[in-house]
Amino acid sequence: MAETATREFLHNLHELPHTVKDACFRLGKEPESEREESHATFHNLFLHIHSVRVHLRTLKPTLTFGLGLMATASFIITIITGVLLMVYYKPSTDLAYQSIKDIHFTVSTGRFIRNIHRWSAQLMVLAVLLHMARVFFTASYKKPREFNWLVGLGLLVMTLALSFTGYLLPWDQLAYWAITIGSNIANSPREMTDAIGITKFFDPGGLQKRLLLGANYVGQDALIRFYVLHVFVLPLALVTLLGVHFWRIRKDGGLAKPEDPMGGLAEWGGERRPVFQPLATKTYGLMALVKGKRPPVNRGPENTVMSWPHLFWAELSVLMVTVAVTLVLSFYYDAPLKELANAAIPENPAKAPWYFLGIQELVSYSAFTGGLLIPVIVVVGLALIPFLDRRPGGEGTWFGSSHERAVFWQSLFFACAVTVGMLAFTVNYGWLRNWFPNIHQLWIIAINPGSLLVLIFAAWSLFILKRKDSVRLSAVSLFTCFLVGFTLLTYFATVHRGPNWHFYWWPSQWPVH
Amino acid sequence: MSRLDPPRVSRRSFLSLASLGSFFVAMGTAAAGMFRLPNPAVLPGPVRRFKLGAPDEFSSGSETAFAEQNLVLFRDDEGFYAISSTCTHLGCTVARSKDGFACPCHGSRFDSKGSVIGGPAPRPLPWLEVSRAANGDLIVNADNEVPEGTRYRV
Amino acid sequence: MKDPSRIYRWLLLVASVVTIVYLVGAAVRENYLAQWRTVQQEYRSILREKATDDRGRELLAKFRVEMKQASIPALGTVDRCVTCHNGIDDPRMTDVPQPHRAHPGHILDKHPVDRFGCTVCHHGQGAALTFNEAKAEDVFWDYPLLPSELTESTCVACHDAEKLPPDQIPLLVTGMKLYQEKSCGSCHKLGGRGGTLGPALDNEGAKTKHQLIMTNLRPPHTMWNWQNAHFRDPGGVVPDSQMRNPTVTRREALALTAYMLSQWKRDVPESYLAPDKIEQKYRALHPLPLTGEQVYKQYCTACHGNGSYTRWDKKFNRFIPAIRGVSLIATATSEYFQSNIEQGRPGTQMPAWGPHAGGLLPEEITGVIEYLRSGAGGSGAPAAPAMTALTLRGDANKGLSLFLRNCAGCHGMNGRGGLAPEIGNPVFQRAATDEFIIRTIRNGRIGTAMPAFQRDEAPAFSDRDIADVLAHLRTLGEPKGQKAMAQNAILGTPPGGKP
Repeated sequence: MAETATREFLHNLHELPHTVKDACFRLGKEPESEREESHATFHNLFLHIHSVRVHLRTLKPTLTFGLGLMATASFIITIITGVLLMVYYKPSTDLAYQSIKDIHFTVSTGRFIRNIHRWSAQLMVLAVLLHMARVFFTASYKKPREFNWLVGLGLLVMTLALSFTGYLLPWDQLAYWAITIGSNIANSPREMTDAIGITKFFDPGGLQKRLLLGANYVGQDALIRFYVLHVFVLPLALVTLLGVHFWRIRKDGGLAKPEDPMGGLAEWGGERRPVFQPLATKTYGLMALVKGKRPPVNRGPENTVMSWPHLFWAELSVLMVTVAVTLVLSFYYDAPLKELANAAIPENPAKAPWYFLGIQELVSYSAFTGGLLIPVIVVVGLALIPFLDRRPGGEGTWFGSSHERAVFWQSLFFACAVTVGMLAFTVNYGWLRNWFPNIHQLWIIAINPGSLLVLIFAAWSLFILKRKDSVRLSAVSLFTCFLVGFTLLTYFATVHRGPNWHFYWWPSQWPVH
Repeated sequence: MSRLDPPRVSRRSFLSLASLGSFFVAMGTAAAGMFRLPNPAVLPGPVRRFKLGAPDEFSSGSETAFAEQNLVLFRDDEGFYAISSTCTHLGCTVARSKDGFACPCHGSRFDSKGSVIGGPAPRPLPWLEVSRAANGDLIVNADNEVPEGTRYRV
Repeated sequence: MKDPSRIYRWLLLVASVVTIVYLVGAAVRENYLAQWRTVQQEYRSILREKATDDRGRELLAKFRVEMKQASIPALGTVDRCVTCHNGIDDPRMTDVPQPHRAHPGHILDKHPVDRFGCTVCHHGQGAALTFNEAKAEDVFWDYPLLPSELTESTCVACHDAEKLPPDQIPLLVTGMKLYQEKSCGSCHKLGGRGGTLGPALDNEGAKTKHQLIMTNLRPPHTMWNWQNAHFRDPGGVVPDSQMRNPTVTRREALALTAYMLSQWKRDVPESYLAPDKIEQKYRALHPLPLTGEQVYKQYCTACHGNGSYTRWDKKFNRFIPAIRGVSLIATATSEYFQSNIEQGRPGTQMPAWGPHAGGLLPEEITGVIEYLRSGAGGSGAPAAPAMTALTLRGDANKGLSLFLRNCAGCHGMNGRGGLAPEIGNPVFQRAATDEFIIRTIRNGRIGTAMPAFQRDEAPAFSDRDIADVLAHLRTLGEPKGQKAMAQNAILGTPPGGKP
C-alpha cells in the first residue's frame, strides 16, 4: 500500500550511510568476529595477497621500519603524480623545458605535484636501499627466500633506472649533463677495449651508448627513448616484479621472523598458551593446501594476530607517513630546475644523480672499472649472498647470530678508515698517471682506488671468514664495507667535488662562475 | 550465542574512527586537488583578441573584411558588429557574395547577417564579441560569441 | 596483551592530519596568497577609481582576476608579464604606482604586446608569475631582466641601429662611437674585423653568466653588471687582464655596455625584421672600405697611440714601436709596411691584419699605409751616405758579441724581443731589407728608445761592426739558428762550433 511504501522509502533514505558502508563488505556488515575478519581479508581483491593472520613479531615497527612498504608507497605516489604530470609534459626538446615551467607556474597544483613527484622518487631510491640493508642485516634472505632476494635486486636496478630515465625529461642543464655523464659511463667498456686494441671488432661500450641515446649525442632521440622507458616500459616491468615480490613474501611464509622457542609459552588474550614451532612455509590460508610438515589442527594462535585490522592499520599508517613526509618536503623545497639545456655550456661540475655519484667518483679514476666492472661485481656479489650463506638461523632478528654486531662495527670503522684514507691519498698525491705519465691504461684499469677498495674489502671479509669461522659474519663484514663505501663515496662526490672535479672542502669555496 | 560461535571482537574506538576518518578526508582532499589539475588555469596558444583600429576609421554602413583574422567588421546606425568568416559546416572560409556569404566547400549560403539561407551549414555564422581597448581601439574577441543582433555602441 | 596496532593508529592519525594541513596549505598558498592575485585585486580597485565614463566602466566590468599571457609562437615566447602589468597599454594609467603603470613612450603603438610579448625587448623570465622569478637575477635563468636604461640594446635584434632616431637609443649611439674612438678594435674582433689579443665580441650579448668570470663582481651577477664593471676596471674584474683601463665616465661605461649587449646574432623570424635590418645584413657582406685614417683610429691607436713616438706599455711590459715615426717612414718601404700589417708579428702582441686574419680589406691596408706615411714630417733621417756596410761581408760570430753587448738588453737574448721589437721574428726578417736594418742601426729612431750607432760625432759602430751585427741578425731568422743560438749562448760556445 502506498503509505508503507513511502515510509519504507524514507527509512531507506535515512539509513543510507550505514547501508552504503555495509554494502562495501561482501559479508554484508563490518567484521565482528575473527572468522568474519578472515573473510574480509581473504575475499578482498586488494587484500587477499595478505595472509589472514600475521605473526606478532612482524608487526613490531623496529623489525622492518616499514621500509619495503615505504618504497611501495613512494612508488604509488610517483605513479599517480607522474600520470598527472603527463597531462602537461611534452617530450620534445623544443617544448619539454617550457612545459615544465608552465607546470610550475600556471598549472593548478602543478608546482606541488611536480615537487611531490621528485621527492617521492628520491625517497623511493633511499627506501629501497635501506630496505635492502634491513633484509640483509635481519638475514631475511636465507632459505626459502633466496629467490625473493634476487627479485629484490632486480627491483633495485629497475628503481635506479626509473629514476635515471626520469632525470632527463626536464631537459635543463642538470638533466642534459647528468645524462651525458651517464651515457659516457655506459660507454666505459671502451676504456678496456681501447686498451687492448679490440674496439674495432668488439665495442660493447659504443653499442650501449647508442642504444641509450639513439644517436651519438644526447638529443631528441634520447629524450623519446627515456620517456618511453620512464612512463611505460620500466613501470610495467617494476609492477610485474613487484607482484612476484609480494607473492613470494606470502609463499615463503610471510616476513622473516625469529623462531619461537620450542615448547615455550605465548601470551594471548590474557592466557598463556603453548607455542608450537612455526614452519617457514606456514601461511594460514583458509582454503589452500599449504606445504608443511604438520597440519595446524587443534593448535593455538601461536603468537599471531588477525591481519584485519592490525596489519592493515600498520600498512595504512606507513603509507600515510610516507605521504606526509613527501608532502612536507614538497611544500618547502622546490624540485630543482636549472637553465635550458645548452650543449655549448657544460655544467661544471657536471654531476650524475646522487645515487650514481659514488660510481662517478670511481669513474674519475678509471671509466671501465668504475662504470662497469665494480657495479657488476657489486650486483653479482649481492646476488650470491643467499647462495653462499646457507646456514639457517638468525632470520628475522637484527644482528641475529653471535658476534654479528661486533663484526658490523669493526667493519664499519675499518671501511671508513680505508675509504677515507684512499680518498685523502688520491686528493693529495694523485694516482698512477700523475707519477708515470706514459703508463699503459691497463695498469690503471687494474690498479685504481676502486679496484683497490674492492680487493681490500674482499680481503677483510676473507679475514673475518677465517677468524670467526662463519660465512654469515664474513658476509656481514663485506656488506657493511660495501654500504660504508657507497655512502662515503656518494657523500664525497656530492660535497667535496667541485668544478673540474677538483677537491674542495665546501661548495662555498667553488669559484663563482 | 552458543559456545560454538566465535567470540565477538569489538575494535571500535575513538582512535580508530578518528584515524580512519582523517585518512579518508586526506585522500579526498588529495583527490580534489588532483582533479583540478587537468583544467588549464590559462588557455595556451596565441590570443584571439584582435585590435582592428580606431572606431572613427569605420563609417556607418561600412563593412570591412579582415582576411588574416577571419572576420568581417560591420557598422550601421545601431553600432558595430563582427561576423566570423568561418563556415559553421566544416570550417572553410566563406567568401562574400551578392547577398551575403557563400562557402566554396559544400555550398552553404548565408545572408548578410550570417543567417543560413542554403546548404548544409547547421547554424548561422557566429557573431563575435566587439569591445574597446584601453586606448580606444576596437577589439574583436574571436573566442567569445555573442547573440546575433548584438550591436556594440560607441 | 597490548593492542599491537595501537601505535599504528596514532601514526595514521598524525600523518593524515599533517597531510590534510599541508594539502590545504598548498591550496591556500596557490589560490589566495599568490602574488599576482594581490596585484590584480589592487588593479581592480584602481579601475574602479577610474571608471568615470562608459569606457572606464566597460573595462572594469570586463576585468577578471585570472592568469594572463601573451603567447607568440613565432618568437617562441610565452610572456606572462601582463598578469601583473595589467595597465601596460591603458593610456589612463600614467599616474599610478608600478606594476600598474602604462608603458612609457609610444613604443607599444608599433610593438603591441599581442604581437611581440615583452621579453623579446626586456629579457627576463616571461613564463614566471612572481616578480623575483621574472626578474630572474638570482634564479637559474640565462637572461635576466634588463635595467630599463639598457633596454635599447635589444632594438638591434630587428632594427638597424643607424636608422633609428638617435634620441630613442642614446646609449647605443654613444657606445658605438666610443667603441671606435677608444680603438677597441685593436684587440677585439667585431664583425670579423679586429685584433686577436682579446676575445672576439661578436656574440657578446648572447653570453650567459656561466661564461664569464664572476668571482670579483659584486652582486647582481648578471651580464650587464659584468660588462659595466669591466669597462670601469678591466683588471679588477678579470685577473691578469691585458686590457688597459679605457678610463670612461659612468655614463660612457653604460653606453659601452649597451653596445656590447646589442651584439647578439639572434634568430628573429623575417616577419619581425625591419626592412633596414635586412639591408644592413646584406651590407655587412659587402662592406665599404674605411679610409686610412679611420682604420688607424679604430684599429691601431689603442696600442700605437698617434704613432709618432714610442710608448712604454705597462701591461705588455715593453716599448711599442712608433709606426708613424719619422725615422721609420724614412727607412721603410711600402712593402715593408704591407708585410708587417698583413702578417703581423706572430708570437708578439701585433696581430695579422690581412683580409683573412684581422679582416682589413686590401684597399684599407693601402690606405692606412698612406696614413702612416703622412705622419712623417720635419727632419727625417739624414740623406743616405755611402752604405759601405752593404758591401762588406759580416762575421756573425763577431756580430753575436756586439749584439749581446749592445742590443740584447732591449731586443732580447736572441732577438726574442722584450722591451723592444722582436728582431728574430720571421715576418720582420722577411720584410726588412738589409738596407733597412743598416739604416736603422746607423741612425736610430727619433722619438723612440733606439739609439743611433753611427752618428757622425761619436760612432759606436764602424761599418764593419754594422755588417757583423747584420750577419748575426740574419742568423736569428733561421729557426735552427735561433735554437743553436740559445744553446750556445748559454754554454758559451761560439756558434757553428762544436759543443
